[in-house]
Formats: sequence, structure tokens, C-alpha cells
Amino acid sequence: MTTFFDEVQEIRKRYPAGARSATLPALRLAQEKHGWLSREAIEETADALEVTPAFCYSVASFYDMFHLEPVGRHTIEICTNLPCALCGAQKVVEAFESALGISAGETTADGEVTLRAVECLGGCGYATVVAVDHRYRQNVKAEDAAEIVEGLDA
Amino acid sequence: MSAELVRVKIDERDVHVPKGTGIVETALAAGIEIPVFCYEPRLGDPVGACRMCLVEVEGMPKLQTGCTLTAQDGMIVKTARTSEKAAAGQNGTLEFILVNHPLDCPVCDKGGECPLQDLTFRYGPGNTRMSYEKLTFEKPIPISPTISLDRERCILCYRCTRFSSDVSEDGQLVAANRGAMSVITTFEDVPYTGAFTGNVTELCPVGALLPTQYRFEGRPWEIVDVPTVCGLCPVGCNINATVRETKVKRILSRNHPEIDEGWICDKGRFAFTHLRAEDRLTQPLQRTRRHGLEEVTWEAAIDEAERLLRAAQGRIVTALSGSETVEQAYALGKLLRAGLGSHQAMLPEEVSGALDGYRLPLSAIRDADAVVVLGDVPVAERAPVVDLWIKSARRKGARILDSADEVGDAERVVLIWSGPGGRGGATVAKLAEKLTLAGREGCGAFYLPTTPNGRGVADAWAACCDDESDEPDSIGLLVVSGDEAAADPNVRALAEQAEATIVLSMFGGLSAGWADLVLPGTSYLERDGTFVNLEGRLQRLRATVTPPCPDELHWIAELAARFDVDVAPYAAAVFAEVSEKVYDGLSFGEVGESAPLRGYPDAAVRVDRPSLPESQAKPGKTEIRLVAYKPLFSGAAVERVTELQFQRPQPEVELSAEDAGWRNIETGDLVTVGSNGNAITLPARVNRRLGKGIARVAIEHANGLGGIVELARAAEEVSA
Repeated sequence: MTTFFDEVQEIRKRYPAGARSATLPALRLAQEKHGWLSREAIEETADALEVTPAFCYSVASFYDMFHLEPVGRHTIEICTNLPCALCGAQKVVEAFESALGISAGETTADGEVTLRAVECLGGCGYATVVAVDHRYRQNVKAEDAAEIVEGLDA
Repeated sequence: MSAELVRVKIDERDVHVPKGTGIVETALAAGIEIPVFCYEPRLGDPVGACRMCLVEVEGMPKLQTGCTLTAQDGMIVKTARTSEKAAAGQNGTLEFILVNHPLDCPVCDKGGECPLQDLTFRYGPGNTRMSYEKLTFEKPIPISPTISLDRERCILCYRCTRFSSDVSEDGQLVAANRGAMSVITTFEDVPYTGAFTGNVTELCPVGALLPTQYRFEGRPWEIVDVPTVCGLCPVGCNINATVRETKVKRILSRNHPEIDEGWICDKGRFAFTHLRAEDRLTQPLQRTRRHGLEEVTWEAAIDEAERLLRAAQGRIVTALSGSETVEQAYALGKLLRAGLGSHQAMLPEEVSGALDGYRLPLSAIRDADAVVVLGDVPVAERAPVVDLWIKSARRKGARILDSADEVGDAERVVLIWSGPGGRGGATVAKLAEKLTLAGREGCGAFYLPTTPNGRGVADAWAACCDDESDEPDSIGLLVVSGDEAAADPNVRALAEQAEATIVLSMFGGLSAGWADLVLPGTSYLERDGTFVNLEGRLQRLRATVTPPCPDELHWIAELAARFDVDVAPYAAAVFAEVSEKVYDGLSFGEVGESAPLRGYPDAAVRVDRPSLPESQAKPGKTEIRLVAYKPLFSGAAVERVTELQFQRPQPEVELSAEDAGWRNIETGDLVTVGSNGNAITLPARVNRRLGKGIARVAIEHANGLGGIVELARAAEEVSA
């Protein structure tokens, strides 16, 4: 069985020796394994990369795609950067908030759904973009929120 | 750097500088200041983070950051002095920097010595349009027991994080989050630990990172910075002691570009509070029959010392610490050797003059092509700043080797011996001779001793008398000079054999059980005198504050007079005497605030036994060579500074990945290390950088073990 440590070494081989470029893919691997980047997950990644946990934490905290807190089984991520904001992203956020009964940044009490307002998802031509379990929904309007929540796998 | 000069016009002034010089330096060469926050050449390449250095460059549409721009021929640069655009840019930059900066200068410790305050005053808008609430954070956050972080004051210049990642290379201090929410932090609740953390408090251009010891302790207009030299390790970093109302309040670096480049270690920076330790002695103590050690007057103590010296009838042995000044060692030596014919001494460590031909400033390490580090003890534990020079050499492309065989055709070669078995530098000097380094530019060798002034003490002790004598059959009197000697178990063993013992010590705790007479000692921060560092550089110590007891020289002089020995009670006069014999007649005043590296041809008075080291006994298959090292954060001073305790080494054994691998040992597993029935069981730490066959442990956790030992996984505990 390949361990996490070995998998990270495989990733490191793709980058120049000594480079820290493997940090992003290694953190992603850790997140896939644990669901989120706990203290232990960051320490494990740092050890495999031969960098400090502080460095990994610094990188992980910069990117929205890394979770530093536990997330629900489903994630709904709404882009709130400029083009989406101009197309009513704030209203979309509010619609999801009332559909789920939580505020953006929170997870439902049953641990099922995490709702987040995130930075640009790269779909500015189809604002507002909402990533539902990492799959993009384009041109989302406030009134679509209820249906999207309904449509989540039980 | 290439010699090609280019002409740059800065404001109205023409200036010629080597091509590629930064515009900030170019302007400085023209006598024009470009204000900066994040720019600091000692941190490596500029990053242009703070935008304070904006200038207008002809032909470029937008303002440029002066720190990242380099001089090209014919460039025309206008600074805020002559360019309205640049002035408006700087003004705007400051307005943004101040958006979330609190207006708490009156209670901020940086107030009065704060670059942000100064530059705002000179270049800022003078008024604020910020009528919104500012970002607030919990404060102060102790990022370690010695450093406090105020995030509200931070302007995110990234000097501290660059120091952590690019100079000390510890990678512990980082910026987390993004944009306006960025904060400086360590990982979770882990304190910022390492030999050099305190430097970030000096790099910080605002009051965000402050030394906790100095919080609310002084204001710039009521303090005085006294230039002196650190006396806690053989590097001899140049420092300023901040003194307020007769007390040392803080230690700052004082950049000597050849020794420390303005970086000092946390021991040198934070251990000064040992001056006010609870068990600091101010009155002499004399053993009385019924009550043990009792305080006596100085007059009585000097009488008793005279009595003990006479009673010993020349059978006196002196144990020196290597932390005495040259003058103290000489005065003591003159009294005991010239006056009483007692030549026997335990010198702090072997010091060889063989290295004199390979003398270099420490800064030469940075420019080396190959640096050979020998001796198994981590350099940072013996001479911390040397470790920074080695790191800086590695960043510049030097090969850092652990064997002289791999030097190959490298041009500039520096050898460093850090560990036991170096015979005071004779071994490494011999290696240097084998590599024919003598006289070659940029080549040289260093020996890292364990004591701050072992060499100066050896010089002085040798200089005070030419006579020799055999070891006495019995020890009439043991004179123990200094805290390091007083803490040495070998010295204590000697004290058991001695009929009487006099101890010169700063701290009562060290000599309580076994001394007959204890004379209070002073600290390096309280002494006038000279030290010789590991380069062989003679440096000047100043009494930054008055000690709570008489200076050693004063009572040694008084005592010497009773034996008709002429010892002057002042460092300058004693130095003049030593200097005649050892330092080419250099006068005390000429030693200098920022001392040059001089040659002292007469100093090579020590014994040389030039031969290459015998190859060390090879460890057997299950055996390992255990290096029990004296950690940087140890010793009498550090033990008395509560806030430095977190820096002391963990009880653990470091071993190489290879040795750990086949024994099936992982970090955290318990291992047993032992030889001849003496064994210790400690958690293991696997260090991938450590060589095969070597394990390391801090001496305080070694239980006397060292050398060839058996190492194995500890037997599994049976769980219930």
C-alpha cells in the first residue's frame, strides 16, 4: 500500500529539486484524504515535503479551495467577486442562506451541507457561478437556490 | 560585481555607480534619501512590498519602486523631492498603510524610534480621511515567550517573514490568509522557536513585533544605548545595551559587517535579565563552622582570602572559565603566578595558535565556494551567528561539505570545526595545511570553542609569568574563577580534594555546598575590558551598568598589594601591561568600537602537536557514536531567565534516517542508549540531515553518556 508520504514523494518528482512547487498538489492530496486540512493533515504534509507546517499553513490559508475547518458532505460555493456581484451574487448567497437556514461560511447542523462565499471561480462569462460539490452551475439566480438544495444527493 | 560604471541622474544630481546597483543605493550615493519600509538588503533580493520607495523614471509611464529597480546608463530618476507625481504616490502609499494602523503612538514602545512614525511625519498626509472603524485584533499575541505581536500595528512589509524563510531559514514565521485579512503568524499555537527569532523585533519597522521584556520599560528619550560586545559565546557579536536608570533593559545588535552583519542570537538578546537573578550575589559569603555560608563584609572577605592564599603555601590550583576578560585573567594570574608561584591552572579549553595562519573574518564564509563543517556539534549550538554565515554561503551557491575530501578544485575554501576533539583548532589547522589554504585569498579555517574568551584568557594567563611548576602533591587551595568553572563537575571533583576553595561567582546557587569563601562576580555587561573571539579578534567590552558588587579588578588589586604584587585596578592599565607582551603594544583606546581583525605575532605561545586526527573508532553494526553537546540555550545565565526556558532542547535523541530505518524507529518512539551498564531512555527524533552512525543529545539529557554506545528501540511497554 502506498502511504501518503510516498505519494507526496511521487508528486515531488515532477518538480525541480528543492522547489516548493509541490506544496499545492500535496495539500490537495491531503485534503482529499482527510476532507479538510486539520492540524495533523498539515503537519503530515509538511513532513513529507520537508518544509515547516507554518509554510504549508500559510499556503493553505491563502487559497479558498483549501478548507481549514471541517466541511459538510456537500459544498455549495458561490462566487462573490466583481462580475458575479454585479449579476446579483449577494442575492444568490442570501437565497441559499434562507434555503439552508445557515449563514455563508457555516455548515448545517446535520453536517450535510457547507455554504461558502468564495473568490473568483473563473466563470465570469456565466455569472453568477455556483460550484455545487465542485461542479459549476452557471447563470444562477436567487430563485434557483431552493431547487439546487433539493437536488443534492441524500 | 562588474566594474562597469553607469551614469544616473537622480533629481538634479548626476551620479556614477556600478551597473545594477539598486536605485535606493544609487540615490544614497548622490546624497538623496528614498524612504523605505520593506527594503533591507540583508534580507536578500528586494520585494517591493510596501511601495514607500516610489520614484518617477523618465520614459516609464507609471511610478516605479526604487528598491526593485536597478541603475542603467542614462537613467533619469526623480524622487519625491522633485517629482510631484512621486510625492503624491508616497503620500497615498502612507495613507493606505495608515488605514488600519492605530493611533496609539503615545503608548507604543516603538514610539520615538519608529520608522513609520518618522516617515509619516516627513512624507505623510498630515491628516486622515479615515472616518471608518479600523480593523482590530486580539493583542498583544505572544508568538513566543520573548516576542509580542500587535497585529493592528502591522503594515505587512514582510521583513519578519523574509528573515524567517531567507536568513535564519526556520520557516516558522509566515503570513496567513489573504489581502486585507493577511496576518503574521506561527503555526497554530507553536511558539516561534530558534536561535535567531529576536532579530524580527529589530527588523519590524513598526511596533508590531516587540521584545516582551522591553514592553513599557523605557522611552527613547530616557535611555542610552551603550556599545559593547556580547560575552555569551565565542562569536563576540557587537551589541548595544539599552540602559535606563542604571538598569539594562534590552540588548540590540550593533552591525559589525565582518562578524555578525547585525544579527544576534536569542541568548545574547534575551539572557541579560540574569543580571537581576534572584540568587545574584552582592556580598561575599564565608563558611562558618555552625551556620554554613554567611554574608561577610568585603574587608573581612579580603582578609580571609589573604589568609587562605597564605595558608596554601603555593599549593594553589586555579580553575578558569574562559568568560573572564583578558584583564581579569591577567590580574588573577599575576597575583597567583608572579606573587605566589602557583602556576597550576585548569584552563577552560585547549587553544591552539596553529590557526593564526588561516585567520579570516567570519564574513569570508559567505563568499566561500566550499565550506567544510566538521565535528558533529551543530554550529548554531556553539557559535550561532556562524550558522547564519554558512546558510548565507549556501544560498550564494557554496557547497557545504562534511568532509575535507570533497573539496575538489573549489577556489575559496573555509574549514570550520564544531565539536569535541578539535584540539583547540590544531586539527583543523593541520587539515588546512594539507589543503594548502595558507595565503590563498578567501581561504581559511575556524575552530568554534565552547567559551567566549578562552583564547584571551589563555593568552593572558600565559603572559603574566614565564615560570612553570609541577603539579602539587596536594591542593592547598582551589581558586574557581567564574560561573562556568563553578558549574563544571570536574572542578567540583577537584574541590573535594582541596583543603579550601575560593569561588568567584555571580550566583549563590552554584557554590553553596562546597565553597569556603565566595566572592561575588560581575557579568560581561558590567565589565570594562577586552575579549578575543573565535576569529582571534580583540574586542572591547564596556561596563554598561554598575555592578551590584565591586569590580573583580578592584579587589584583585587590593589583594595583590598585600603580596607586594602590583596590579592596577583599572582595565586600561592592566591591558597596557598585557598588550606589551601579547598584543603588539596596542593601547586600550585603540581596540576600537568596531574592532578590526589584527594579527598578533606574539600570541602564538601555545603548544602545538601537529598531526592529523587518528581515525575515530568505527562504531560496530549495532553501535552508534553519541555526541552529547552543550546546547546554546544552557549555562548559568540562561538557567536564570524564565522566558528563555522554552528554547531549551527537548529530552530526545536525534538520529539519522538510515540508523532509524533498519531499527524500525520513528520520531517519538522511545529508544535506549547505553554503554557499560549506564543507559538512558528518551524519545527519538529522526533527522534526515544527520550522518549515518551518529546520534545527538543535549548534554543535560545525556546522563554522562557519550562516544560509542549501543542504541536500540526501547522494549515495548506492556499495556494493561
